[in-house]
Amino acid sequence: MTRPSDATPTSKPRSFIANNPSVLWFLLALALFTLGVTALSEATGSGVISTSFVKTLGKTLCLCLIAIAMDVVWGYCGILSLGHFAFFGIGGYAIGMWLMYARTQAIVVENLSASVIPPTPAELSDAIASQIFGVVGASEFPAIWAFSHSLVLQLAMVVLIPGLLALVFGWLAFRSRVTGVYLSILTQAMTLALALYLFQNDSGLRGNNGLSGLQNIPGFEQVPQAQISMAFFWASAVALGLGYVMFAWVLRGKFGNVIRAIRDDEARVRFLGYHVESYKLFIFTLTAIVAGIAGALYYPQAGIINPGEVAPIASIYLAVWVAIGGRGRLYGAVIGAALVSLLSSWFTGGGAPAINLGFYTIQWTDWWLVLLGFSFVAVTLFFPGGIGSLFDKLVRRSS
Amino acid sequence: MTTLLEISGVSVSFDGFKAINNLSFQIGEPELRAIIGPNGAGKTTFMDIVTGKTKPDQGRVLWGDKGISLIGLSESRISREGIGRKFQKPTVFEAQSVRDNLAMALRNPRGPFDVLFYRKNAGGAARIEKVAEQIGLSDALERTAGELSHGQKQWLEIGMLLAQEPRLLLVDEPAAGMTPAERQKTTDILVEAARTRAVVVVEHDMDFVRRLDCKVTVLNEGSVLAEGSLDHVTQNPEVIDVYLGR
Amino acid sequence: MLRVVFAALMLLFLPLSATAQDFQTLLQVHKDEIAKPSRRSVGPVLAELVASGHPALPAFLEAWQGKNVYQRLSDGLFFYIEDHGDTITLLDIETRNVSAQNVAAGTLDQIKPNGGVRRAIGEALVQFRLSAPDPAQRREALDAISRNLDPSQLGPLQASIADEPDAVLRLRKERLANYLIARFGDTSEARVAAIENLSDDLSVDGRAVLSQILRTRLTAAQNLPDDANVARILTPGDENLSRSAAYDMLVAQAGLPPIVTDQDVLKTIEANIDGGRSGGVALAAMTSWDMRYRTYDTLADQGLAPPRVTDLDAILANWTFAELYEETDTAVTTAATRIQESVATRVAFSQTVDIGLDAVSLASIYFLAAIGLAITFGVMGVINMAHGEFIMMGAYTGYVVQLFIPDYTLSLIVALPLSFAVTFAAGVAMERLVIRWLYHRPLETLLATFGISIALQQLAKNIFGTQARPLTSPGWLDGAWMINDVIQIAYIRIAIFVLAVLFLGLLLFVLKKTRLGLEVRAVTQNPRMASSMGINPDKINMLTFGLGSGIAGIAGVAIGLYAKVTSEMGSDYIVQSFMTVVVGGVGNVWGTLAGAGLIGVLQKWIEWLNPSNTLAAQTYMILFIILFIQFRPKGIVALKGRAAGD
Repeated sequence: MTRPSDATPTSKPRSFIANNPSVLWFLLALALFTLGVTALSEATGSGVISTSFVKTLGKTLCLCLIAIAMDVVWGYCGILSLGHFAFFGIGGYAIGMWLMYARTQAIVVENLSASVIPPTPAELSDAIASQIFGVVGASEFPAIWAFSHSLVLQLAMVVLIPGLLALVFGWLAFRSRVTGVYLSILTQAMTLALALYLFQNDSGLRGNNGLSGLQNIPGFEQVPQAQISMAFFWASAVALGLGYVMFAWVLRGKFGNVIRAIRDDEARVRFLGYHVESYKLFIFTLTAIVAGIAGALYYPQAGIINPGEVAPIASIYLAVWVAIGGRGRLYGAVIGAALVSLLSSWFTGGGAPAINLGFYTIQWTDWWLVLLGFSFVAVTLFFPGGIGSLFDKLVRRSS
Repeated sequence: MTTLLEISGVSVSFDGFKAINNLSFQIGEPELRAIIGPNGAGKTTFMDIVTGKTKPDQGRVLWGDKGISLIGLSESRISREGIGRKFQKPTVFEAQSVRDNLAMALRNPRGPFDVLFYRKNAGGAARIEKVAEQIGLSDALERTAGELSHGQKQWLEIGMLLAQEPRLLLVDEPAAGMTPAERQKTTDILVEAARTRAVVVVEHDMDFVRRLDCKVTVLNEGSVLAEGSLDHVTQNPEVIDVYLGR
Repeated sequence: MLRVVFAALMLLFLPLSATAQDFQTLLQVHKDEIAKPSRRSVGPVLAELVASGHPALPAFLEAWQGKNVYQRLSDGLFFYIEDHGDTITLLDIETRNVSAQNVAAGTLDQIKPNGGVRRAIGEALVQFRLSAPDPAQRREALDAISRNLDPSQLGPLQASIADEPDAVLRLRKERLANYLIARFGDTSEARVAAIENLSDDLSVDGRAVLSQILRTRLTAAQNLPDDANVARILTPGDENLSRSAAYDMLVAQAGLPPIVTDQDVLKTIEANIDGGRSGGVALAAMTSWDMRYRTYDTLADQGLAPPRVTDLDAILANWTFAELYEETDTAVTTAATRIQESVATRVAFSQTVDIGLDAVSLASIYFLAAIGLAITFGVMGVINMAHGEFIMMGAYTGYVVQLFIPDYTLSLIVALPLSFAVTFAAGVAMERLVIRWLYHRPLETLLATFGISIALQQLAKNIFGTQARPLTSPGWLDGAWMINDVIQIAYIRIAIFVLAVLFLGLLLFVLKKTRLGLEVRAVTQNPRMASSMGINPDKINMLTFGLGSGIAGIAGVAIGLYAKVTSEMGSDYIVQSFMTVVVGGVGNVWGTLAGAGLIGVLQKWIEWLNPSNTLAAQTYMILFIILFIQFRPKGIVALKGRAAGD
């Protein structure tokens, strides 16, 4: 579908980087950040940054990655998708299935090794299944777990299932020219349907319980969490960097112009002879795949995934991040996602000091959402360019 | 001159209102043709049908030497067949530069992957320069399209049509809101373009039509009322009755 | 004066008349028959006691039957007792007042009537209660009979029908008598006739009678007796009888050797392990059942375990498995089967009607929740994500009103217009402060209103807390309208339906017959033209938005009445409301009605197809809607032509 992203800068490095200086700046900032965190972490450095905070930062990088995808599909192509967290969640479930299967298998094999008569393969599989699905009262593997024993196949699923879902859904929606708020609501319906499906106990994905214990990586049980989280932090940083470069490359030049033109006047692009639906489908599917990859990196760091993660509200928050960060700028999406999600965990985690007004004490755990809601309205009204537009002003003033 | 577009017996109605009623006419290649008619005569709907935006209830729209039917083809496919359309309101991509606007319109493969792996090249740049010269925007190539004056936007849109290298150009009221000098230039551009291809101009302004100096088709209530030189049709009593007399 | 004297005299005489009817005295007349009753002697005693009509009699009969009556050996008087372990308190047999305390157990004799006597007492009791003067007691007696149908009750029941003054109870008695005849009647004809009477009885009790008549017993026999009343023949291996279950029946019935289970195989192998081998096979090699069975067979050959049954099918082939009716009378079972089928058809029909009514009520809720959204979306092209929070705001307004006005009817009358006013004001404020600046940027409006939505939701949480608040409906809305035993619909749902119809009418009137409606329609169809005709679109937008929000407030009160009021109730309805609007088509009241109807019916229908799983029902419904939009992107009722703006 896409050319491997590492090949892109080498094909014509000068002109691409020269035309997109922000890519260079972004990669530099990301590298500095990653090295800084590495130097301060418990696993590899001075230990100023706790392992749990490294995990938070790693997760934030994954959120930045899906935020870029959202920015491409909304800020550049004008499709306000309220369903991209569905793809994120699917990526998480796909990798989570392998993590859970492999780990449970190890435990079950260990337990059964004590029995006098060695188990048959069917007995082994049944034991793993009842271990995993006991919570929902099942003891057999559902069909969708057919590939869960294979890391390679489940990794393929991380890419294929979001991609195929986006392809089918997008093809249906774009073909019948559903646009604007209709499309937004349709994508919201998609993620709601997925969430409701996952909430069922017989969905084959443990219903409400979701998949858990994902922070334990099979084969690396002896490695301390500090190092595992560092590895995932690095993987997330690399993924974010590659994703950024890939999208910047895709959106460079004429292809980017067509995408932006579709956002501004879809009908006109059609009369220019471009098959608008194919372009939208390409962007929708590509961003869905990136969202799936981001999810596959996120959930091993979070340790648990449950259906609540793909509820419609999550995807709306994604749009909020991108809007606050500034649409139509890849770095804007990164800033918005990082800022809002970190602030949010600071405020709701009780990190922010309460404000005593004398007659009333503002507890931020209670008032953060009110603040976020109204500041979001304010950004939309007075600051439609978001935080990213500040950079534009800076650049304009310096030149 | 060979027949490029043949419309026969086309009808379309919206909620019982017959916008086009058994319309038939032909356009050759190369040819410059003006279409006039009162409001609601079906001029814009005719363009919608040819470009695939509206599906007719009945009738045939045949295109080119092989006479393929345009009915049921998508807008983008029809455009790739070689029909370009300019809207009444100038629609250029205001956020992008004039050069990018023209580059997007250049006749090149239109598939997503063709475009994704497209590289800028000298041939393309030369074609952009040439079109820009034709429409008088050579000096404005790097400017953002949104900054252009109304007339310049109209020309840019015509330029984008020319860059598509269509065999048929449909132009809806190109002179609306233009100064006399700009009109003259627009006329020149259209007449020049019609040397090698078919150009159909829908226009209200008789003065402008007169300057085009071409065959005129008068539409009324969705069908052809008269056809011929401007002088010929303006002497037709029916035409005077429904259109000029008012 | 004379009257006072008379009253005083009356007072003097009262205790005398009470002593005349003293219950203990009445019992002492038959002291011996009561203390040592026999099946033969008890009848006349019971008849006499019942004839006395003494109010303490039912309680005594029950205690007598339940072996809870004691006789003092010294004087033969009867008492109830309270047992404190080592001592006993005697209670008066009539009033249950304490008569004596700290009585030794040895001075009393417990009266223990035998089974036959107890049954006779029971009959007398029912008969007694069936004709008790208090209707509540008669009703209780009928409840007792219908809980446990017994042939002995038929006589007393039939005897009491003629004198029953209450029409409802009389009907019930006749019905119960019919049940009893159907099950226990003397002749085949009488029973069949009674069964025929059940054909229009959809109640659970009536259906239970039929299924009790048709109760079956699974039987295995080499040759079925000729007079067996066969319900159906089963083949081992089909879904009703597995082969192993069939064989287990034979094991129990004919003493065949039991089946060797997989568990037994493993146990036997484990029991015979000898140096890492069992039956000569290495344990490590037993990773397949094939190998395990072979090992077991080896062990069995050595006499260490019973052999496996291998010719199961051949054995089963010699036997017939059948479900036999416990009822031997084929005429009765045939009639009951036929009637059961017809009742099932009627029940299915009634259920369909019931689901239909449910769907209508659900649709009216969706309509109320969505119509405000449809108006704002249709007229202004604005998606209001905070619409759900306006619903919530209306519900909380109702709750607050109830805090101040305790009368539920009055508070409802106040709450409806007040919640409209509150949300109307909130809507106008939102339109003026936010939405007005974002026209022609629909996606941004969507997100900005979402920001308002999360802020409002959290504000409500901060003010009212996270627990659900009650919005109590007036007493006259409690209960349900029972159309028959299957179809019933809660009054509150009827009220919501009426409310929805009222609003439909009101909106149609406002839109079609008023100046405001004309202007709204003009702005909906062509805003630019409307403004050039002198319509102030600003004012129209503001009013429309207020109207849409106000209706959301009313919907909030309606929803709050039958569901709980929480800060999240809005988000429960918002997606369904969007679906309703999108499916119905924008800018049209009828479209919203069609959308609400379609979604309501669809949801109930899918729930009926898959009743165990409402989540699945919702999933399928959303998938259906996604597909529906593919084929009708503009909804059921679409604006056509150039006005649609395409």
